[in-house]
Amino acid sequence: MIALDCGDDFAIWRDQARQLLGHGIDPATVTWGQTWMDDLLAVPTPLPAGPGPFHARVPAALLAQLEQAGRYRGEQRWNLLYEVLWRVAHGDRTAMLAGDRLGSELQRRIRQVGREAHHLHAFVRFVPLPEALAEQLQLDLVAYHEPAHDILDSASAHFAERLGRQRWLIATPHDGIRYDGAQLDYRRQCPQDWRQWARNADDPGAELWLAYYRHTFNPARLNPGALRQHLPGRFWRHLPEGPLIPELVGQARHGKQRDGQALEIGRQQGKRIGAGGTDR
Amino acid sequence: MQLTAKLGILADAAKYDASCASSGAPKRSSRGRDGLGATDGMGICHSYTPDGRCVSLLKVLLTNFCLYDCQYCVNRRSSNVPRARFSPEEVVRLTLDFYRRNCISGLFLSSGIIRSADYTMEQLIRVARLLREEHAFRGYIHLKTIPDADPLLIEEAGRLADRLSVNIELPTDASLQRLAPEKRASTIRQAMGVIHHGQQAVAGEPRAPRFTPAGQSTQVIVGADATDDSTLLRNAESLYQGYGLKRVYYSAFSPIPDSPSSVPLAAPPLLREHRLYQADFLLRGYGYKAGELLGEAGNLALDIDPKLAWALANREVFPLDVNRAEPALLARIPGIGLRSVQRMVALRRERRIRYDDLIQLRCVLEKARPFIVTSDYRPAQAELRSGLLRARLREPQAPVQMGLWG
Repeated sequence: MIALDCGDDFAIWRDQARQLLGHGIDPATVTWGQTWMDDLLAVPTPLPAGPGPFHARVPAALLAQLEQAGRYRGEQRWNLLYEVLWRVAHGDRTAMLAGDRLGSELQRRIRQVGREAHHLHAFVRFVPLPEALAEQLQLDLVAYHEPAHDILDSASAHFAERLGRQRWLIATPHDGIRYDGAQLDYRRQCPQDWRQWARNADDPGAELWLAYYRHTFNPARLNPGALRQHLPGRFWRHLPEGPLIPELVGQARHGKQRDGQALEIGRQQGKRIGAGGTDR
Repeated sequence: MQLTAKLGILADAAKYDASCASSGAPKRSSRGRDGLGATDGMGICHSYTPDGRCVSLLKVLLTNFCLYDCQYCVNRRSSNVPRARFSPEEVVRLTLDFYRRNCISGLFLSSGIIRSADYTMEQLIRVARLLREEHAFRGYIHLKTIPDADPLLIEEAGRLADRLSVNIELPTDASLQRLAPEKRASTIRQAMGVIHHGQQAVAGEPRAPRFTPAGQSTQVIVGADATDDSTLLRNAESLYQGYGLKRVYYSAFSPIPDSPSSVPLAAPPLLREHRLYQADFLLRGYGYKAGELLGEAGNLALDIDPKLAWALANREVFPLDVNRAEPALLARIPGIGLRSVQRMVALRRERRIRYDDLIQLRCVLEKARPFIVTSDYRPAQAELRSGLLRARLREPQAPVQMGLWG
C-alpha cells in the first residue's frame, strides 16, 4: 500500500497522481490521508521515483473537474479522484459521467462544491466597521463564515467584483481571505486576529435589515419546510435574521395566517385616502 | 417618522409582488473602481423568509399613498393601512447599506400612484438615476412601470434598470373593470409594447446603450376572480410571444386585512399557483403549447403535475426508447428534467443506457417507469390504462397545501 499526504492541496495531489499513473499503479494500492493508519494490513511502500513509462492522455476538461471535486471535504477525498483519473486514462470515459456509479459521485461532489460557493456568495454577511476602527485596521467590512468545503480561495473574488474599493475580510474556522481594495490575500490558516475582528464586530446598524426581513415575510403563506430546504439550518447561526425565523414561524402559527400583514403594521393607525386624493 | 418605521410599512406594502429575481443582468464589475455592485447573469438568493420565498432584492414601495382603488390591493385608497413615503435619498441609503452587507443583490422599487402616473414614474426614475449616476451602483435594479406614464419616461427607466415590469394584475378586461376601475388592459399592453420596442431597438447592436437587459416581466393575481387556468396560461403564452416577456409571475391572491366584499376572503390553494408555475416552465423551457397542456380542461389537475398529465393523455407517444428518442421527446418523459436529458445524451454517445443509469442520474423513476424503454428494461405497465396509472401516481393531497416557489 502506498500512503500519501497532499496536505489537501490540489497541485501536490496532481503531481503525485501523475507519477502514480506513469508507473501504472492501481488505485486499490494507494491511499491519501491519515486513514491508512487504521488499516492493519497496510504496509507503507514508497512512491516510485521518476515519471514512469506510461504516458496517460486525458481530456482537458477532466483536470478542471478533478480540481473542482478536490475542494469537497469528505471521505476518500483524494482516492476517489485518482480512481476516476485512472479509469479515464485507461480509456473508460464513463468514469467522468453522471450515469456511471463513480462518475455520479464525482459529479455529485462537483455540484456540492458549486453549491457551497453559491452559499458563500449568498449567505456571507459583512459588518461595516466604525470609521475610526476602519482607519486603524485598514478594513471596511468583516465577515465570519463556516463553509462546508474548501471554496473560500476559489470563490471569494466575487466580493472584489461587488464591493469596488472597499476593504474586507472573510474569516472561517480554517482559512481566511482579505482584500485591500486592490489585492486578495488568501491564508490557508486564518490569522487569529482576523477571526477575532470578524467574530466580535459590533453592529449597531443591523436593525434596518431585521425590520426589512420581518416585513417582507408573508405569514399567510407560511412554509418553513421550503425555507429549510433552501437555507440550511447550519447557516442560521451566522445570519442576523437567523434568530427571527423561529419567532416569525411561531407568530404565524398563532393566528397571523389569516392575511399577509405583519402584526406591527396592523396595530398602527391607518389612513384612508379620499377619491380626489385628499386624506379622509 | 423614523427610517425603520417607514421601512416596515413600505416593505409590508410591497411583499405581494412575487418577483424577486436578480438574474439575467449583463456582466458588470466594480473591481478596482469607485462605486459598488456587480452582476454576472446569475441571480443570488441572499435569504429566505419563513414563507419559503427568496430574498434577493430590497423590495419596497417608494410610497403606499395611492389614488387608485384596486380591490385586491392592500394599498388601495380606501384601505385602512398606515401610510409612509420614502425620500429617494432614503431608498438609496437603504439599498447601498444592505448591498454592502451582502444582504441583497439590488433593488426592486415600486410605488403607489401619487399626484399622477407621470409624477410617480419620475420619482422611481430619480432613485435609479441617483443610484447609477451619483453612486456608480452596478447592482441589479428592477423598476415597476406605471402603465399610464409617458412613453418617454418608460424609455428613460429602461436605460437605467435591468428589468422593468408592468403588472397585468387581472387576466381579463372584465375583471379589471370590476376590481381595478382606474386601470385599463389597453394601457397595460401599450406600456409592455413600449418596453418591447425599446429592447428591439438595441437588439443586435452591441454598442447601443443597454435597455432592460434582464428583460421585462409581469404578474397576474390568481384566485381574486373566477378566471380559469386555461385563460391564464393562454394569456401568458401570448405575452411571451407578443412582447418577448422573460417571466410571467402568478401570485395566489393573498387575503388582505379589512378586505372589501368584492374579493374572496380566503386564498386559493397555493398548489394551484404551484401547478401554474410548473405549466409556465413547460411553456418556456420545454416547448409545450398551452393548448397541449390544457386541452378541453379549464384548470390544471391539482393531484398530478402538468407534464405527467400530458403524458397520460398522450400514451401513444410512449414508451420512449431512451437510447433512440430525440432529446426534445426525452424531455417529455415525466420525472426526467432538462439536465437529465443532457446527461443521457452525453452517456449514450459512450454506450447504451441501462435502467440503473437512470437511478444514478436521479431521475424520478416512480414517474418515469411506465413511459420508458432502456437496453435492459421494458415497462410491464405499458399496457396499463391511463386511469389506473394516474391513480397510482397521484400525489397525496395533504390537508395543508404546500407552496413551493418556482
